Amino acid sequence: MLKKDKGALACLAFLAIVVLMAVAAPLITKLSGWGPYQFDSAATNSDLGGVPHGALGGISGSHWFGVEPQNGRDLFARIVYGARVSITISLSATLLTGILGVVLGMLAGFYRGWVDQVISRLMDFLMAFPALIFMIAILSSLPAGNRPVLLVVVISAFGWPYLARVIRGQTMTLANREFVEAARASGAKGTQVVFREILPNLRGSIVVMTTLAIPGYIGTEAGLSFLGVGVSPPTASWGQMIASSVSWYSVDPMFFAIPGAFLFLTVLSLTVLGDKIRTMVDQGVAA
Amino acid sequence: MLVGLVASTALALSACGGGTTGSSGESAGPGAKAAQGGTLQVLQNAAYSHLDPARGFDGGVNNFYRLIYRTLTTQGAAPGADGTKIVPDLATDTGKPSDGGKTWTFTLKDGLFFETGAPITSADVKWGVSRAWDPEIGIGSPYAKQLIEAPASYQGPYKSGDLSTIATPDAKTIVFHLKKPFADFGSVVAQNTFTPVPKGQGAGNQLDSKPISSGPYKLAEYKPGASLKLVRNDKWDKKTDDVRTANPEAFQWTFGLDPATIDERMIAGQGTDADAIAGTIQAASVARIQTPQLKQRTMTGINGCTTYMGLNTTKKPLDNVKVRQAINLAINKQTVRDADGGSALAEIGTSIQPPTVAGRVDYDPYPSPDHKGDVEGARKLLTDAGFASGFTMTLDTRAQPKMQAMAVAIQQALEPLKITVKINTIDTATYYEVIGTTSQQHDAAITGWCPDWPSGATFLPPLFDGRNITTKGNTNLSQLNDAGVNAKIDEISKLTDVQAANAAYGELDKQIMALAPVVPLLYEKVLMLVGSNIGGAYLHDGFSGGIDLVSVGLKDAGK
Repeated sequence: MLKKDKGALACLAFLAIVVLMAVAAPLITKLSGWGPYQFDSAATNSDLGGVPHGALGGISGSHWFGVEPQNGRDLFARIVYGARVSITISLSATLLTGILGVVLGMLAGFYRGWVDQVISRLMDFLMAFPALIFMIAILSSLPAGNRPVLLVVVISAFGWPYLARVIRGQTMTLANREFVEAARASGAKGTQVVFREILPNLRGSIVVMTTLAIPGYIGTEAGLSFLGVGVSPPTASWGQMIASSVSWYSVDPMFFAIPGAFLFLTVLSLTVLGDKIRTMVDQGVAA
Repeated sequence: MLVGLVASTALALSACGGGTTGSSGESAGPGAKAAQGGTLQVLQNAAYSHLDPARGFDGGVNNFYRLIYRTLTTQGAAPGADGTKIVPDLATDTGKPSDGGKTWTFTLKDGLFFETGAPITSADVKWGVSRAWDPEIGIGSPYAKQLIEAPASYQGPYKSGDLSTIATPDAKTIVFHLKKPFADFGSVVAQNTFTPVPKGQGAGNQLDSKPISSGPYKLAEYKPGASLKLVRNDKWDKKTDDVRTANPEAFQWTFGLDPATIDERMIAGQGTDADAIAGTIQAASVARIQTPQLKQRTMTGINGCTTYMGLNTTKKPLDNVKVRQAINLAINKQTVRDADGGSALAEIGTSIQPPTVAGRVDYDPYPSPDHKGDVEGARKLLTDAGFASGFTMTLDTRAQPKMQAMAVAIQQALEPLKITVKINTIDTATYYEVIGTTSQQHDAAITGWCPDWPSGATFLPPLFDGRNITTKGNTNLSQLNDAGVNAKIDEISKLTDVQAANAAYGELDKQIMALAPVVPLLYEKVLMLVGSNIGGAYLHDGFSGGIDLVSVGLKDAGK
């Protein structure tokens, strides 16, 4: 079914490129000739405040996507390394929220009672928070430390209830189904039932929810970096590149357009693909 | 004074040496003659720190104070070196020393009044000066406290009463008794702390919200952080003031504007923005002001401060002079300048003192082709010192894009030497507090320094006198405590000839750089765009290169 959908195929191809870039970043930059932190003063005009020489933000044979104003760092290399940051952080955050959301959601839905009360209130509490504001506050008050890990932890801390709530609801319905009763009747214990009987039946929902969560986390990471609380310089990050391009929009629009396009296309591809998967899962269930 | 204070106000980034580019003197440019009257607009990012003259102390606020306050002497009102010449203001001359320079006598002019109509007497000047000893109020210029004799327990007029070491034999005469002879005391009484305050007034935050004017303008309206309006003080008599032209009828400040917004408004120059001045533009706007029309409205000059990287000489391996010299050699100052905004916004720094300081010698102790860094020479020094395999150091920097970009440039320049630079970003608000606390500062820090008046006396001793190292509020960031340097500082402070002293500071600069406790990086420039109706504007060397506010005005006041 996916094969017939050209849009989804294009998305998949683009994502494959981004992932390849992220994985093979050091090799690719060796090929292109410029590292992500390497300065190239010759590529910018110091007398004009550091505007890149040449049209389109200094796009040339040696700098494929042009250069960053002022310091002349190669945009292509920074996009490639920025993909690493985006992908690593969003995948780790998805993994962490996936585990937290599924486990806590199932426990709340299956055991009900006080377990459900505690977990549900915690979820309500976290969901009622203005998450972005709290993320900014927390990240700016925490010491520098290992920024990527901190980002993953903070994003996940506010992200898991959205998955857990859906899982909890589904677990509640599944818990009353015959096969669960049958398992119980044949002597299975609580945890066995939860992980052997209910979890396999939640597969579809988990796959759909997590694929749709990845673009969200990529956006959040870029947003936090844009606001200056993401990964710390000189690490390349798309959000940070967009932030520093803001003041240059009128003299060097490519500095904004390139990372902006990558961020936009990545998020779009993931969303489209997530949507496709949901359709497939729904049809599968119906069939 | 710390450059950070300066950088925090938009206008403040300026001090010295500024001639105007474009067409100063021609009828079209900002240097054209200003007419009387009108309201001059000032667009600014950060509001002034304090309106109380004993509290505020940076290039921007010092410039502003001259509109509402007068001091015993003041800096001239002219471009170039004439701007840093000390001229009489409230006093009839620049002071008469006696007792070998230990006692200084000033006489006040006739016809001086506060905005209230009360005459300004020597008792009011004394009251104003003695406020500098108040621990809560006297946080600005430190010179009165440092130089004038006072009982150790004296805590300002509100807590401790009268200060016996400043005598006022009559209403026109004021006599200061110093701790030790000081040849340049005539420059010291131009500091903000020598502003008269009516005797008995000014306790607590009174002056921060409602200054009592002695200058040509008085406060009409003040919304902290948003706006400030000054109107003419009709009790000020032009005949008593040779310095201030005071052309406009009023000044209107708008604070809290985004720097990018200010640039857009100044480039467009619409409506009342034609009557506006603003601070240095952003690097991204440099390319946009290259048209002839905008160039005509552009003013530029160096700001008289030095941006440098202090190397903490108490940390290993920076305690080794060869390592410090290697770092000095290796840093690519071109990329540091590009990070700051390129050649339009900074010149490359080689000596500690900036070009505007009197007696400064232009030299480059650690030369490299095009200032791009001499990695081979640095490697040789490191090998001699036994650090051929490199080391790791932590560089403190402010959480500000420009400062972080400079830190990255330094990180990049030291990478070939296998020196791993970890960048430690510190919040802007607490940056100077952290790096000034010896237990909290790391191996290196990027900071800056501006002279309080353009003399080596306000530049080298605060930064390199080993006896000035304090555990908090430390300005000797490198914690250099070198017997030779300390002895030289003492020797120079005994010189009675100001010019000889300045020349000696020029030599001391070289002596200090041989020890390489800092890496001079840049002399930053001001580059500002003024409205098309602005006249009489020039960059004042004494106020971090800011437009001299007491001379600027509107070409057509009726507009």
